[in-house]
Amino acid sequence: MVDLFDAVLPIATLALSSLLTVPLFKVFSRAKHRAILIIGWFLVVFAAASFSVANLATKYFAKATAEPFVNLTLSSGSQPSLSSAFMIDTVSIYMSIIFVLVGAVAFLYSIFYIDTTEKPAGRYLAVMLMLTAVLVGSAFAGDLLTLFIFWEAAAAGSSFLMLYKKTPSSLHATLKYLVMVIMASAFIVFGLSLVYGLTGTLNYWAVRQALTELSDKHLLVLAFVFIATGYAIEAAIVPFHMWLPDAYTEAPSSSSAFLSALIDQGSYYVLIRVLLFILTPPGILNWTVMLAGLAALTMVVGNLFALIQDNVKRLIANICVADVGYNLVAITSVTPLGLQGNLYFFLLGGITTALSFMSVGIINKQGYKTLEDFSGIGRKMPLTSLALLVAALSFAGVPPLGGFIAKFLVFTAAIEANMSWLAVIGVLTSVLQTAYLFRLVNYMYARKSKDEAKIKEPKQLLIPVYILTAAIIILGLYPTIVLNLIQPVAHQLSLIT
Amino acid sequence: MASLLLAVLLIPTLSVPIVYLAGKKSSKAAALIVSLVAVVNLALVLSTAPAVFNNVDHRYVEAYNWIPLLNASFTLFVDGISLSIAVITLVLILAAALFSVNYMHERKNLAAYYALLSLLSIGLVGVFITSNLLLFYFCWELMLVPAYFIVGGWGYRDSYKAAFKLFIFTHAGAVFVLLGIGAIYMLTGATDMFQVRTALMSASQGTVEWILIALTAGFAVKMAVVPVHMWLPDAHSEAPATMSALLSGVIISAGAYAILRLSLGTVYPALAGTAFAAQFLHALSVVGVISAFFGSFISLVETDIKRIIAYSSIAHMGYVMFGLSLFPAVEPTTGTVLHLVNHAVSKGLLFLTAGAVMHQLGARDIREMGGLAGKMPFTATASATAALSIAGTPPFACFISEFLIFVGAFQVISVDSFYLYTTAFMLIATVLSLAYSLRFISRVFLGQPKNNEKIVDVPGFMKLAMAILAVLVIVLGVWPTFFVNLIQTVSFA
Repeated sequence: MVDLFDAVLPIATLALSSLLTVPLFKVFSRAKHRAILIIGWFLVVFAAASFSVANLATKYFAKATAEPFVNLTLSSGSQPSLSSAFMIDTVSIYMSIIFVLVGAVAFLYSIFYIDTTEKPAGRYLAVMLMLTAVLVGSAFAGDLLTLFIFWEAAAAGSSFLMLYKKTPSSLHATLKYLVMVIMASAFIVFGLSLVYGLTGTLNYWAVRQALTELSDKHLLVLAFVFIATGYAIEAAIVPFHMWLPDAYTEAPSSSSAFLSALIDQGSYYVLIRVLLFILTPPGILNWTVMLAGLAALTMVVGNLFALIQDNVKRLIANICVADVGYNLVAITSVTPLGLQGNLYFFLLGGITTALSFMSVGIINKQGYKTLEDFSGIGRKMPLTSLALLVAALSFAGVPPLGGFIAKFLVFTAAIEANMSWLAVIGVLTSVLQTAYLFRLVNYMYARKSKDEAKIKEPKQLLIPVYILTAAIIILGLYPTIVLNLIQPVAHQLSLIT
Repeated sequence: MASLLLAVLLIPTLSVPIVYLAGKKSSKAAALIVSLVAVVNLALVLSTAPAVFNNVDHRYVEAYNWIPLLNASFTLFVDGISLSIAVITLVLILAAALFSVNYMHERKNLAAYYALLSLLSIGLVGVFITSNLLLFYFCWELMLVPAYFIVGGWGYRDSYKAAFKLFIFTHAGAVFVLLGIGAIYMLTGATDMFQVRTALMSASQGTVEWILIALTAGFAVKMAVVPVHMWLPDAHSEAPATMSALLSGVIISAGAYAILRLSLGTVYPALAGTAFAAQFLHALSVVGVISAFFGSFISLVETDIKRIIAYSSIAHMGYVMFGLSLFPAVEPTTGTVLHLVNHAVSKGLLFLTAGAVMHQLGARDIREMGGLAGKMPFTATASATAALSIAGTPPFACFISEFLIFVGAFQVISVDSFYLYTTAFMLIATVLSLAYSLRFISRVFLGQPKNNEKIVDVPGFMKLAMAILAVLVIVLGVWPTFFVNLIQTVSFA
């Protein structure tokens, strides 16, 4: 039986260790083996977090068929509909597993990537831990307000990660991001207030119940538009994507990796949760065509902008935008296959973007930034380049890498939902993606490098990089490991539609 | 159940790191490991032959759990057709690896070359021995990345440009294949081609037509028939000779095999008898004729030794496409598969001999050549054998298969008079193939030497590789029985 303690434990573990991180760094700074102590501390934190998530998962899956949605309210008083609540289901468990595992790898990279002797290093890592905590929180949220609070904390916290270097351009990018996010929250809050006015509650289930019984739907459409716009801004759906390429390019690579792997996937998750599970009970709104149009637009725009980039990191950032489009393709088809494809895409898209930001980060550290600089990097830094190659091929959807299965699931879902045109656009933009990614590969391997500098590749940074590379290959060859985990989702979706 | 076919995929997979590490010490050792793996795989694949001959359905099947969500299991199988082509693929890989020992020895970074070669062999063989559409697609694309790096990294002149063209063209084709596979899965919920074949019978005809078109268009790009041939001349001529042999011998044959197995063998039966189906086959026939003429004409006027052979590959894929358009008659289908086998060996050999000439002479323009027969007698003999086979002269391999295709064509004419025209044109095209083959031999090996430099024949391993293929060309020409029997166990009815 899952109780409140089990649900709160992972969030609390991560949040508490985040608070402990800064004082501990003070203590570590005098110690002899600082690096080992720091790594040890984070291993302990993530071991504890993984354990608490595993504990929750085993307890949940023991009774998953009997009780697919576990609702837990904080105060069991007279008005449960107003109380802050948690909801545990397969999707949220799956998301928390992604957050903790991928977060751990991104952390390992950050520890080696940033200079831990710098003063803000402790705070930087503490913010990252806190972000992981609130992300897990937003996965477990059971009412719209709790979700909003956790999610806005994540969005605001991200700006600290972008700002770490404090260069003028990163300040500019962060400002752009903050303005967009604040506008987004305003939209969401307004939409939520309308929903509350219509239904008198914000609890997921109560809202669903009230909405199906609603007679006049005009206000609901308005609320839907506001909320959808708000979350669309945060998920960087075209035409609200302008902040993302700037922010991810200007942030240090460890931040970009963390943001693209966790925050990005988190924002799609929130979008799905709110739009698919709560606000669109059958027959209320017909929104799939609009969403499909946005998906097509996002795929096309993201890929076209990536095509014209000269800065490799910016190119990857634009692929992140395109990835949002592929994710949306799966959401538009409200089918079990689409949802499973989406969930698989979360993991794979996160891993792949993180991997490419990580390897590009290692190369950027040597001063190589543009495509021209990347000439001949395949010979100068063979191990890093190999990882970037794997990431590029996975993005392009070349089997046997994980990206292929993810795209296959997404496109088949679109065909299943009678949106073959969307699948065709997706496939064509995929070809475009292959073309420009191969231009990158061509620069890396075909061109002669201008300088003959000998470069020693940083071994410790390659550890997280190769963990992710291995994950991409394994998930491509045998995706059943993950697909088994998300299989109950099909059953859950059938319960709510 | 022994896991013979699983081993065929696993052994090269496991050998990749071993080959790489061995190659760091000695590139010869790496080449010999790749050859050894090919020989072992050859033995493994051939050991399934009794099962293919004796089983009731003439198939040897192994299935493992893979992705239950997509109803996909890791199914490996061979029947007469896939066994024949898999055997010839492994022979060519063996020849390519042996040829590389001398041919590549002054090149750099050979450890990576041999590792990529063994990586390539996984996908190359895998394509022919699976009946699961997803696994098929995995192997189909797995060929591409190693091919890109081999062509680009060890090719000639602007090799990475040629490799880029190869990758983008065939990947774009593969994407259409993927759409087709996705649509098949949506329609039938199955990914095993034999289940799909049955399930498609009851699907709506309009969708099946689109699936047929998407799949065939995608495969045709790999097969490099006109008008999607543009990648082939560059890729084949800039690649190192060993890779050209594999590209021309097996990789484009994979396209033809896929059309036979998936487009015609799996999807087409659902449409058989409709007007669309007849038009579809007519279109294939016309494409075949155009490719044969186009390839032959350009081959006649090219002066680059490897481009001559590359364009002749387009012409031969034209014959194959023509043969496929006679589906499902038995003789031409047998002839077509046999032609894939024979063409693979002959064209592989021809590319290797061209590589040998370029290696010894340092030139690639046939106007600078001539009279090499006296200086390189072994290479000249092997090359003449291959060229005469390509020209379709008896008793060499390609004669038999072309003969079978035409015999089949005459049978089909009595049913569908459309084929009268295409067959007539096709017969003219065979004359052209004789012309360019003879031009090739006479310009390169006969006549007066252009300069008096001292040129010697190729070293031992190159001779060995050419000898294996040359003997096969003659054996397949005089005794095609084994493969004919093997291929005829397959029934598309």
